[in-house]
Amino acid sequence: MTIHDHNTQFEDVTVQPGAVDAVSDGLPEVASTTVPPTLRRRLSAGTATGARSIASKYALLVVWAAMALFFYIALPSTFGRVATLQSIFGSQEVLVFLGIAALTTLSVGEFDLSIASIMGIAATTVPVLVTLHHWNVALACVVAIVACLACGALNAFFVVKVGVSSLVVTLGTGTLLIGVAEFISSSSQVSISNAAFSKLSLFSILGLPISFYYGLVLVAAFAYMSSWTPLGRHMLFVGANREVARLAGIRVNRVRTGSYLVASVIAGIGGILLVSSTGGFDASGSAGYLLPALAAVFLGTAVVQPGQFNPIGTLIGIYFLETGIFGLELFGYSGWVQDVFYGAGLVVAVAVATIVRNRASTG
Amino acid sequence: MTTEAARRLEVHNVTKTFGGTKVLSGLSLVVDAGEIHGLVGENGSGKSTLVKILTGYHTCNSDAVIAVDGRRVGVPVRWEEVHAAGVSVVHQDLGLIDHLSVAENIGVGGYQTSSFLRKINWRSQNAVAASALARVHSGARPTALVASLSASQRAEVAIARALRDHLPGSGLIILDEATRSLSRDELARFHTTLRLVVDQGTSVLLVSHNLEEVLSLTDHVTVLRDGVVVGSALTTREVTEQEVARRMLGRDVATLAQRPTAPQSMPMVAVRGLAGDAVRSVDLTVGKGEVLGITGLPGSGFESIPYLLAAARPARAGSIQIDGDTIDLATASVRRCTGAGIALVPERRERDGLAFDLSLRDNLSLPMLGAKGRWWFVSKRWQQINAEQAGERFGIQPKDPNLLIRQFSGGNQQKALMAKWLSVGPKLLILHEPTQAVDVGARQDILRQIHSVADTGVSILLVSVETMDLAEACDRVLVYSGSGTLDEIKTNDPDEILDLVYSRSVAS
Repeated sequence: MTIHDHNTQFEDVTVQPGAVDAVSDGLPEVASTTVPPTLRRRLSAGTATGARSIASKYALLVVWAAMALFFYIALPSTFGRVATLQSIFGSQEVLVFLGIAALTTLSVGEFDLSIASIMGIAATTVPVLVTLHHWNVALACVVAIVACLACGALNAFFVVKVGVSSLVVTLGTGTLLIGVAEFISSSSQVSISNAAFSKLSLFSILGLPISFYYGLVLVAAFAYMSSWTPLGRHMLFVGANREVARLAGIRVNRVRTGSYLVASVIAGIGGILLVSSTGGFDASGSAGYLLPALAAVFLGTAVVQPGQFNPIGTLIGIYFLETGIFGLELFGYSGWVQDVFYGAGLVVAVAVATIVRNRASTG
Repeated sequence: MTTEAARRLEVHNVTKTFGGTKVLSGLSLVVDAGEIHGLVGENGSGKSTLVKILTGYHTCNSDAVIAVDGRRVGVPVRWEEVHAAGVSVVHQDLGLIDHLSVAENIGVGGYQTSSFLRKINWRSQNAVAASALARVHSGARPTALVASLSASQRAEVAIARALRDHLPGSGLIILDEATRSLSRDELARFHTTLRLVVDQGTSVLLVSHNLEEVLSLTDHVTVLRDGVVVGSALTTREVTEQEVARRMLGRDVATLAQRPTAPQSMPMVAVRGLAGDAVRSVDLTVGKGEVLGITGLPGSGFESIPYLLAAARPARAGSIQIDGDTIDLATASVRRCTGAGIALVPERRERDGLAFDLSLRDNLSLPMLGAKGRWWFVSKRWQQINAEQAGERFGIQPKDPNLLIRQFSGGNQQKALMAKWLSVGPKLLILHEPTQAVDVGARQDILRQIHSVADTGVSILLVSVETMDLAEACDRVLVYSGSGTLDEIKTNDPDEILDLVYSRSVAS
């Protein structure tokens, strides 16, 4: 049903509304404005077009299934086991949290490149306080979340209050916070051994760790919030056209500030789950989590609500990427294959979705 | 008719299909040398598609015939070829880049470079710019920044750019809605410059939705409706605006019924001592169910009044009393004003009015989300019903609330923008240039809606430079002069309003 979505959505994020014209000019608007309404209805009711629009909405799912089937046929003994499902679905909770954190800011038109570093702050603070300073675990978690909130407030201050570009601010704070995390952990891997704490993420339900379900709940909550509450609808407008939102009486700056704070808390929780499941963290590894999370968010714009950032799409994106990487690793490729797949998967999937959709709309 | 040789552009048998729908069928267009030829039609009639075919953006049927100065060019069109043959374009809103120099703006796409290293040769670049400017008798310096130019000089620069590669007296300039955002002042200077160019023998194809402009400026006019020519090269002097409008719409344009003069009802809205931006101390009252117009010279500052009243821009001082509720505009928020029943329909719908990448339904729902929904839940049901009702009431086409705003024509977008704010049931509706860039049919629909809304007891403030709109729609008109005073006029004659606008500005 949509024509221009992709390019313009991305445009919106980096540039402010108004720069969108250039993109829209390039697309066949005429087709939609000149078709008489009766004809339009018939066109959209036509089975061919309808099928195409569904195809474009769920193309990524089909590719995902095809990919899984391919691995299954090629490697029946290793890929075709329950353990594979468990590895794929049980290992991505940190990315789910980071993806939703990224989504929170992206959907109001802001970039937050510091989420992975904020996650790193939480993942470092907890073991440092518990292991080196013998704090109570729960208290350490609270302190970690407060620290993350402070990082979010720092971002919001520079972006919303001072008015610096969000890309610049969060690139800066992202780097800065990695440094801070390395400082408090004395640049070494910090670990924590606490059975109750690791249960927090690893407790098994139906063969999958509980943190997998945390991710589902988070995604469901975000999906509900964004389509069924005034706040979510307001966020949509703040992201789509800030001035329109302001003139409708929405407190735009409050929404933007809130999105930074919420994003940092979600990233912080992701960090706590990370140390809880792995038992330790090396602060210098934070940066490696950023690209996969962002890739999944953008990949997610190719499904469910094409052209819009959406949480279910993000979730699908995460497991899509992990499936590919896991399968390729079973083939014996490792290390480099992860980066190649994250990068290529993003570009190819979004490009294909765009092409399919443009076809569907021009006939 | 003129002879073959005097035809600057000939287009025959152009057909274009998008997704099974013909948007142009068997179209012909002939532009003579040294004339201004108008191409009019409603949004979606195919005029911009034709321009995009002529500039090679869209392809077209291979048996179409396109000839410049009697020489056929290949179809589908390649821009390099038609440009070399003498066709150039002035883009929407002139297409100048403010922070570059005049010479850079004129040179873009054809910079003079040295043969070695392809470095831009600024001396010869400036010379090219100067010679192009000389042809439009412009006093603009090639090295000046476009931002520093006056309105008339900007128009001259835009035309000079289009003339750059053509010999004097040759070529065809296509103006594709180039004047959409020009003020009255700029427009007049722009027209003078065009005349100058045409008198040298260059032709102009003026694509516009603005009938008034087309009829006052062109020699001939071609009318399109639904991709078909319904009036070919009519001699402008011999046709009336009504006749052209009838051809465009395929029906008569209903004139707006005269509203009975509203009895002086008690004032619903009272503004006291409003100051902010260039506005100094404005007092005014609007009655219940009254349509009050505000106008003035473009740039004199009255354009800020709608935004100050809705707290969209901070006021220095002033208050607005609305239905017993007094708001201090120096400290108020947009939220406070919308809460009190003030709705603002801003001028630039793409920038300030609607989110173009979201659906009609989402856009229409926006102002009501807080009131109709609970913080934890908004139903989609009322959104759908609301969007369908608004579509029905305003005649928004196509009737699909799930289409993106971007996919509607300008007139329908403007209707959507009004519908969005009417759905909240405002007490004061502030409209800024509500008929900007909409076609004749949509304009009538919008003005009629203004009346029917006023009839339900809503106070309306119509802020516009379109004296035609003001004369037709308003009960009273206030003319703002630079010194800050407002003069009241009650008239149905647009020229009277215009006279007052200019006389006040001279006096001040």
